[in-house]
Amino acid sequence: MIHADDLHKAFGAKRVLRGVSFAVPKGQSLVVIGGSGSGKSVLLRCLLGLERADRGHVRIAGLDDPAPQVLATHVGMLFQGGALFDSLPVWQNIAFRLMRGTGRMGRAAARDLAVEKLARVGLGPEVADLYPAELSGGMQKRVGLARAIAGDPPILFFDEPTAGLDPIMAAVINALIRGVVTEMGATAVTITHDMRTLSDVADRVAMLHEGRFCWQGSASEALSTDDPVMRQFTQGRTEGPIPTLR
Amino acid sequence: MIGVSALGATGRGFAGVLGAVGRFVGFAAQALAWMVRPPFHAREFGAQVLLIGWFSMPVVGMTALFTGAALALQIYAGSARFSAEFAVPSITAIGMVRELGPVLGGLMVAARVASSIAAEIGTMKVSEQIDALRTLAVEPMQYLTVPRLLAATLAMPVLVAAGDSIGILGGYAVGVTRLGFDGPTYLRNTLDFLEFWDVGSGLVKGAVFGFLVALSGCYFGMTSGRGAQGVGEATKSAVVLASVLILAANYLLTEAFFSA
Repeated sequence: MIHADDLHKAFGAKRVLRGVSFAVPKGQSLVVIGGSGSGKSVLLRCLLGLERADRGHVRIAGLDDPAPQVLATHVGMLFQGGALFDSLPVWQNIAFRLMRGTGRMGRAAARDLAVEKLARVGLGPEVADLYPAELSGGMQKRVGLARAIAGDPPILFFDEPTAGLDPIMAAVINALIRGVVTEMGATAVTITHDMRTLSDVADRVAMLHEGRFCWQGSASEALSTDDPVMRQFTQGRTEGPIPTLR
Repeated sequence: MIGVSALGATGRGFAGVLGAVGRFVGFAAQALAWMVRPPFHAREFGAQVLLIGWFSMPVVGMTALFTGAALALQIYAGSARFSAEFAVPSITAIGMVRELGPVLGGLMVAARVASSIAAEIGTMKVSEQIDALRTLAVEPMQYLTVPRLLAATLAMPVLVAAGDSIGILGGYAVGVTRLGFDGPTYLRNTLDFLEFWDVGSGLVKGAVFGFLVALSGCYFGMTSGRGAQGVGEATKSAVVLASVLILAANYLLTEAFFSA
């Protein structure tokens, strides 16, 4: 479903990705972990077509190196900060794509669908007419998730879904992600440095270090492996191969 | 040695300016190309007409009112030296509709609208809303830039026309209450000497200035740097560039319309 082959990306002299290759089969949930500045977000942007890799190849849903606009019907994305459109009420944020382009929905149908998706992420219909600035961080994440699943896409991407949330709300978001991914049978890629997300969401885990995947395995293996990079990261130790000054 | 290094620095500076001009012109060309490609985001366009046009009316109106009043006083003081006070209504009107209406209106709209567009789009970029648009199959140039460019280009002549009328009214008020003009005579002198192209040229200028204001705002918003500082810098640059472009374009258009 998702294939990345030898992805390279540099910004000036800084080589962020140095040959990342992986495949995520249909229905699997891959969680990519790595320290701050390790290139997780750049990898996700390359997969989505928001950044063009300097070298290498991406194949998603049978499309080769697709532009993000082409991917839109196949992919839903939850951005780190929600990336909700400030000028639109919640329901229009959720139904944004469905109200545009060929075969677009009417406003009434789009609103009904938005309310249905809000219910799926645990929010009531009274939220539909609020603006993003009126929502808490956790609610914004839920609305972002509702927008990501609005078109029932077969592939979902999550960028740091629990960043900035308290542990309880983070657990709620993780459970929602696990729930929608399982229910939709979606293929998912999540990038995070939250160990709770790793254990709640992952079928498979990959560790991004020095521009490459240095370790891949299951979620349970990730927490018990002897790999020094993984051990330092999952246990949050300052000593080890991952530099603390970055 | 110092001469060579100064030459190098000058060359690098010149190349930098050329590069910046090239990027801006490239952005303008891209925006124009997106204008003729469907879909057209009518709702966004309507919202921008309201924001750029209607909500700029008070500031443009106030500017025109006081400028027209001051202009009438200045022209009276000048024309009195040649016993040509009768020319105050016509010269005030011509000055307003040809120059001061469009230029001052344009500068006020640049301050209000270019800054607001750059800050809004810059913030959208920083908060990944522009990336989100692309992942939702919407081209940001088409959704954000095109409606703003069209709205500003179409709304600005209306603002200029309103500003011209209010400016002439300001001159009339001062002429009648402070300079001893007879009201009907002032109005007749204004209308008799105004020609269609005096007004038309100002409206064309307004449309060009509107386009430049929105273009500057969109360009600096779309290319904004990260963080609050990046957005602040984009906002400032948008206002500065829009103001300079308005003054430069005004000179070129005046040459084109009125040079002998």
